[in-house]
Amino acid sequence: MWSTLRERGVSYLIVGPFAIVLAFPFYWMLVTAFKTNGDLYNLDNVPFTYHPSQAAVGEKLSFQHDHWLPFGFENATTSHITFIFSDTNYLRWVENTAVVGGLVVVITLLLAVPAGYSLARLSGRWGQSVGVGIFLTYLVPPTLLFLPLSRVISKLGLQDRLWSLVLVYPSFTIPFATWLLMGFFRTIPAELEDAALIDGCSRLKALARVIFPISIPGILTVVIFSFSLCVNEFVYAITFISGTKQHTISAGVPTDLIRGDVYFWQSLMAATLIPSILLALLYNSFLDRFIAGFTGGAFR
Amino acid sequence: MAENDDELEELGISTSLTRRQLVRRGLGGFLVAYAGALPKVAAAGVPKYVHKHYKNTLKIIQWSHFVPAYDVWFDKTYTKNWGAKHDTDVQVDHIALAQLPARAQAEVAAQSGHDIFGHLSPQAGLEDQVINHKEIIQEVTRKVGKVSQVGFKSCYNPKTRKWHGFPENYVPDPIHFRKDLWNQVGIKPSTWDDVRRAAPKLKALGHPVGLGMSNELDSNMLLIALMQCFGAFIQNAQARPAINSKHTIEALKMMRDIYKRGMTNEVFAWTAASNNQGYLSGRLSLAVNAISIIRSAEDANPALAQNTSVAPIPRGPVQRLGLEHVMGVYTIWKFSKQKTLAKRFIADLEMNYQGAFKNSKFYNFPAFRGAVHDYARQLAADPHKGKYNVLDLIARKYTVNLGYPGFSNAAVDEIFNTWLVPQMFAQVAQGKMTPADAASAALHEFKPIFAKWRGRGKI
Repeated sequence: MWSTLRERGVSYLIVGPFAIVLAFPFYWMLVTAFKTNGDLYNLDNVPFTYHPSQAAVGEKLSFQHDHWLPFGFENATTSHITFIFSDTNYLRWVENTAVVGGLVVVITLLLAVPAGYSLARLSGRWGQSVGVGIFLTYLVPPTLLFLPLSRVISKLGLQDRLWSLVLVYPSFTIPFATWLLMGFFRTIPAELEDAALIDGCSRLKALARVIFPISIPGILTVVIFSFSLCVNEFVYAITFISGTKQHTISAGVPTDLIRGDVYFWQSLMAATLIPSILLALLYNSFLDRFIAGFTGGAFR
Repeated sequence: MAENDDELEELGISTSLTRRQLVRRGLGGFLVAYAGALPKVAAAGVPKYVHKHYKNTLKIIQWSHFVPAYDVWFDKTYTKNWGAKHDTDVQVDHIALAQLPARAQAEVAAQSGHDIFGHLSPQAGLEDQVINHKEIIQEVTRKVGKVSQVGFKSCYNPKTRKWHGFPENYVPDPIHFRKDLWNQVGIKPSTWDDVRRAAPKLKALGHPVGLGMSNELDSNMLLIALMQCFGAFIQNAQARPAINSKHTIEALKMMRDIYKRGMTNEVFAWTAASNNQGYLSGRLSLAVNAISIIRSAEDANPALAQNTSVAPIPRGPVQRLGLEHVMGVYTIWKFSKQKTLAKRFIADLEMNYQGAFKNSKFYNFPAFRGAVHDYARQLAADPHKGKYNVLDLIARKYTVNLGYPGFSNAAVDEIFNTWLVPQMFAQVAQGKMTPADAASAALHEFKPIFAKWRGRGKI
């Protein structure tokens, strides 16, 4: 028992500092989201707890009588969080992001899985070079591509429509996913397919029944990375779509919460923290699969 | 325990929610909520035309105004009322100010987009992409009187005789300073020499002055204004580069001194928000910015607002002469399919500018002074005890266009948008160049830009 406890203690000692460092920005965002303007802009105040201040116009001190709350939370306000739900199209942006991300993930998988497999297994010595070539296209920044792509989007009549993003985002998710899957498929022993082929499977059947099931961790990794890339993308989102109701989070938040030279810091923090938490929960729900994906899931 | 759970699950009895069940149920909940929104769509009513309520559509894009109430008024009151009168669905999109140039370039590349584009600086470089706005200018002039000099010189190209934009508004650019701190050091920021003398004392108090020297709008405006106070200009009245002068060298020396004595190197990483944040946090003792600082303080920190003076730009050895902080310019693209409606909209807005002036909390000054008859009286009537009266003086006497004493031409536009002036100042302040070398190097960079645009027949 003692040895188990010691092992755990050592693990926590090693992992604990990393966890604190990684979680700290989120804690700061969380604290800031509930701060009053007077508290936030007073440099004498510790930024990680709450302090008494005069409430600004429109700020409501919702907890001022709850003195038992820790970290001085009785001086906090929820006004800046309610602002994003009542005065912006925030929920619509979340919905748009989910729709675009979901569709792009499907397109990415449909194209990247066969591409990754082909490059890993069927293309011989050219596979590696082609794989690197595909990955290089991922490195071309959107800041170079958005002008010519604007023309394409316009010709297709997709301006100000979410379909423009659904069309363009695979241009960076597919190269990345193909390259990632190519590496993953290489870790799967070819003997497994050979055995399936000898047993009478066709190439496609061997793929569907043998390779894909053990590739789930890799595919899930692609899903989450592609989705994250879509959520983070900014340049295309801001230039192809201008209507606030059509925005995704990455475009809507800076457009509506940075007004001229005034930053609505608390609302910005809340608006970025909420999807971060949702994504973290999603990551966490498939955590075991991702770990398998990152560490070569074929050898389970 | 775990074994028991497995057995129960085999019987189809779940003891707790698994992660996948959680995700699945969450997705189900989302779909139910989404379906619940459908009646809303049905409640919108039967459209008058096929798929729409109005005959026409007019699309406008402009910045997200720093006063949220302005956008609410513009989007939900003004444009709706105007649209109802003109059987037009006016769609207004907003964008962060830093994204305006990229968005404009994207629309030009695509040759499609909005009918009206609201810029925050003159866009002479886009002259070939926009219509001649002369017709709107003439109509508004007939109704409310002449356009201001700042509007005229910002949007008119004397070479091509084309109005490459419609000057809708301009924003006076005062200084904000902390009365308590400046009283403490016994100096008032009336001249740039006062600022230089006070800067080290203020820095010693922990409250430096904040004058940006970075690749961003506020630094650009401030530094060109500072040059003007010293009699230095980007170009002369004949659109010839005039940067390499003894006046520029004096301005560079002044800024170098202020930086060395009274600022920190954060001014080289200045952003459009730095003035506001630095001042509102109580750190800065002086900032040059539009009234967004004082208006924010009135809401967030009334004591600071009370303790803040708004004044014209300090006088230099030659004169006191600032720039507009931003210049609201509407353009109509050549590719717009609603040119007539767009012209009508812009003209109507300017001829009835009272609402815009009031709802922007006096941030937007009409480019046609006669568009708001009694704005001096309105400034005086502001509940903050005449604090904004000075804006009238600044607007009338101390505000000129970018490119003064010439016009805001394409060369000035390019110099402005490639941040050559802040870079020149930063090089000197950081000790990388002498003032004379920096002015000479700037001229070396300006010359090909002017030559290029002259070659294209734009200046």
